[in-house]
Amino acid sequence: MTYNINEIKQISIETKMKDYSKELKITEVYKAYKDAHPAIKEAMCLKAEYPAYFTPIQDGDLFAGRLKQGRVGFTIDEWGPTAFAYYCQFEEIENDLKTYDYPAEEKAKIEEMLKFWETEDTSNKIRKEYPPLMAQYLFSDDWMNTSGIAFPLYRLTGSTPNFKKLLDLGIPGIYKEIEELKATAEFDGRDVQFYEGMKIAIDVLADVCLYYEKEIRLLAEISTIDEKKEELNKIADTLHIITISKPRTFREAIQLFWIYTYVADIRNYGRMDIYMGDFLVNDLNAGIIDEDEALKYLQSLWQLMADRNTVVHNRVIIGGKSRPNEANADRFALLAMEATRTVKEIEPQLSLRFYEGMNPALFEKALDVIGGGATYPILYNDDININSINNAFGFSIKEAERYFTPYGCGEFILEGRSFGTPSGVINLLKALEVTLRNGVDPVTGKVIGLQLGNFEDFHSFDDLMNAYKKQVEFFVSLLAEQEVLEYKICGEEAPFLYNSLLYDDCMAKGKGMFAGGIKYLGGTLETYGNTNTADSLTAIKELIYERKLISKKELLDALDNNFAGYENIQLKLANAPKYGNDNEIADSMLERVHNHVCNFVKNQADRVGLHSYLVVIINNSANTLMGRSTHASADGRKAFEHMNNGNAPSGGNDKEGVTAMLNSIAKPSTSIHAGSVQNMKFSPELFFERRDIIKSLLKTYFDKGGSQAMITVLNRGDLENALVEPEKYRNLFVRVGGFSARFVELSTEVQKDILSRTLY
Amino acid sequence: MNDSGIIVDIQRFSIHDGPGIRTTVFLKGCPLNCKWCHNPEAIAYKPQLSFNQEKCLNCFACVSVCPTGAHFIKDNKHEIDFTLCQLSGDCVPACPNEALSITGKVNSVEQVIELILKDKDYYINSGGGVTISGGEPMTQFQFTKQILKACKDNSIHTILDTCGHAPSEKYLEILPLVDLFLYDYKESDYDKHKEYTGVYNDLIQKNFNMLYGAGAKIILRCPIVPGINDTDKHFEAICNLYKDYPKLLGIEIMPYHNIGLDKARKIGAEGQFISIDTTDKEKSREWISALNELGCTNIRLG
Ligand code: SF4
Ligand code: SF4
Repeated sequence: MTYNINEIKQISIETKMKDYSKELKITEVYKAYKDAHPAIKEAMCLKAEYPAYFTPIQDGDLFAGRLKQGRVGFTIDEWGPTAFAYYCQFEEIENDLKTYDYPAEEKAKIEEMLKFWETEDTSNKIRKEYPPLMAQYLFSDDWMNTSGIAFPLYRLTGSTPNFKKLLDLGIPGIYKEIEELKATAEFDGRDVQFYEGMKIAIDVLADVCLYYEKEIRLLAEISTIDEKKEELNKIADTLHIITISKPRTFREAIQLFWIYTYVADIRNYGRMDIYMGDFLVNDLNAGIIDEDEALKYLQSLWQLMADRNTVVHNRVIIGGKSRPNEANADRFALLAMEATRTVKEIEPQLSLRFYEGMNPALFEKALDVIGGGATYPILYNDDININSINNAFGFSIKEAERYFTPYGCGEFILEGRSFGTPSGVINLLKALEVTLRNGVDPVTGKVIGLQLGNFEDFHSFDDLMNAYKKQVEFFVSLLAEQEVLEYKICGEEAPFLYNSLLYDDCMAKGKGMFAGGIKYLGGTLETYGNTNTADSLTAIKELIYERKLISKKELLDALDNNFAGYENIQLKLANAPKYGNDNEIADSMLERVHNHVCNFVKNQADRVGLHSYLVVIINNSANTLMGRSTHASADGRKAFEHMNNGNAPSGGNDKEGVTAMLNSIAKPSTSIHAGSVQNMKFSPELFFERRDIIKSLLKTYFDKGGSQAMITVLNRGDLENALVEPEKYRNLFVRVGGFSARFVELSTEVQKDILSRTLY
Repeated sequence: MNDSGIIVDIQRFSIHDGPGIRTTVFLKGCPLNCKWCHNPEAIAYKPQLSFNQEKCLNCFACVSVCPTGAHFIKDNKHEIDFTLCQLSGDCVPACPNEALSITGKVNSVEQVIELILKDKDYYINSGGGVTISGGEPMTQFQFTKQILKACKDNSIHTILDTCGHAPSEKYLEILPLVDLFLYDYKESDYDKHKEYTGVYNDLIQKNFNMLYGAGAKIILRCPIVPGINDTDKHFEAICNLYKDYPKLLGIEIMPYHNIGLDKARKIGAEGQFISIDTTDKEKSREWISALNELGCTNIRLG
């Protein structure tokens, strides 16, 4: 969910004076259609954006579709912390104006544009609607740099529409569907503008294909190399065909899919083996392409995804239950893993769903690819997840089975049917530290939380626990309400045409996804610091309330002084039981914290009117970033150090070996949240020389209820050497929580965090 | 019946002490005194104070709490006289930097079994189980036997890692509870064995013959220490065993590693051990090929 895993780089910097003509044009169009029907307004803006924001194909591309997004535009996802829906990147533009000497006339226009978006930018519209309490407690949108308990996120991310429909119908088929539905709506006397907008959007899609076709034919003409000429013409032919026919070949299917993901700004691709498997196998059987050619296609597509550089998205799912064309899908899945093995990029985030009884070749291949240093595929255990989804979301088993697909950070959704953007973050450890100090944030000295009493007033551990819970609940409630508000305004603003087109029920109803169209509209909330919070509570319970080895005052003094002069206390705290060691006391506290926040969040859905509202426990650099504004904690963690990753034991605290760690992480219930991420790292020695051990380790973990595993194969020496000689380790990928990154590109702080986590 | 024993450590996810994923229980106490011991902290039968010099901050907190004067100040530096320690344990919590600890703690059979059972599923899925090692587990015979018995009651595969130096009848008694022996074979020369390990090898050989004859499954483990027993004569003896005992499940070569020295230092016992470099990979490979040439093929690095 962060934008840049390397550093907190919130704004993208231009290296030369940027041309603002496209942004100005879009602004003009927006102005002209400001009061038009939302579908028409959106369609016209899309038309102004595309193909304008697309960029030329590059050497080696077998498919067209690259893009440089502008500073103003429209997206279902986000182009920066508050840049979503109709967005304007204020900070970046102001920065450009400061950095470069724009001619006075142009400068004036840009400034006027900025002023205009001040009130039209969707995030700004949402913040303006905050009720007083929400505005008071969710006082900042800058979760990366501000000390606070909870923050809203402005985004509609993780859309995974029904690509199968796109490929089954193609542009002509979709056009026909729109026409028919429009006629029905007309007959019923319902709103037809929605369909009018859809038609324009489809025209834009076709325009993009034709624009690329023209560009590429020109390139072909001037090319002096015959092979290249031929290849370019093939790409152009493909682009042409998909505007007049539904895709017939693997190549056409990939091309249409890829352009669509850009115009729709869809960054996660769902169960690709289902919707691509038949195209692949039909072509192979008909002799249109051979395996080598097919692999080249995928390698090119993988490279395009990698260059899209989403950091947190680009999910491709393969494997899993209820694939109607299992044999074909398996063939695609194997090819996809081979593409990942050979392309060696951070994205796509290839993910393998597996279950007892699935073709074992897939799991075997997965381990080979992981062993090659890829960190992919990420493994998802259907045998656990389907039931968990059934329970957490209330989807029937059949639905959960058919559609479940984790996206972005790992939240489950149903392809083309449900939506659940993470739209808030909560720092549980901050909630605890504020509760220990009667609402005061020790970092800023300001009152930022509920004032529920001083630590001294909590006479029993339960008193403290109840206060902590109250604190968390208060902020969760606000975030749930904020999410609904965000959906409401987005629904009023736009129908999100390309996404609604491929999301169940929107087309039939003639309504946008967030305006009542979508079947299951849910939401998610990201929690951070879970383990540090639980371990802190364990230490407080054990050392203060039960064994009385430390007084409350001593603890607060030690924390306030960041343990300077209180090393003895820090040691005692550090030696208290810790989650991740298969220790009942520590693990049950983690479960208590986990159950509380997950269940409370889950129960918000009905109150605020969402289909589901669930916690997602992901791990990414947010643990590091939020740690920077969190003071010393009672688990012995020093001030401003990173917090634990997701559900993982906090750094270096899992001392009892990998089986104990796996036993611990398999304990928290998986059926009350929207997904969680489990990182594991193994040394190459173990992974290659003892494959049998790895397999039985994973099997046992999954049997015990493990839902997911992200595996990195490396050793400590690798990482230490990489710190010293970065140039030699450019190929070293690590998983920073949910995401892969080149180790050498990470900040020292994150590198140290990785080093501090145990390797087996 | 002893319901408890003294353990040095219990290592979960142990993958080098027999097949599969195992839990290895290291018991304290050993009748031998090998010059190259890898686990010197497991030799003495009683718990011991352990001091990590690197962590010492010279704060002298230990000096003031110690009732026997084991900790003292010399040249403004912390010093320790292990012989004075009476194991009161007072200094351990007093130390602000975890430089002090007690090696060896009393565990009940139940405690050990409880921990062992936590990883039962891993044993089953990997063909692993439990290894009792040490020290010499036979020195805490009742304790070892009860752990093994409890493992068998829970259908867990068992290994006994033994030096072979214990009363023969005890081996016969425990045999039904042991699925596999990791049996040490340290030195073939009678006198050298005494010189390097503190005991003669006749009892060890006798027990080996007896167990082999009784059908026990055995893997032979041969620690090889450069300059001590990497001799042609010893290698030939290993090969003869290989030929004479065809039902051995294998022979493992355990190249010397000086990790034991650091541990010895912590308990004030470094003087009793040889101090040489850890064997490099090259050397270990040479040994293997030398043994191969002598006709010993089913051999691997342990
Ligand atoms: S354990 Fe007791 S006797 Fe031994 S050194 Fe520490 S304080 Fe002194
Ligand atoms: S208390 Fe610990 S740190 Fe202080 S002198 Fe003794 S051993 Fe060293």
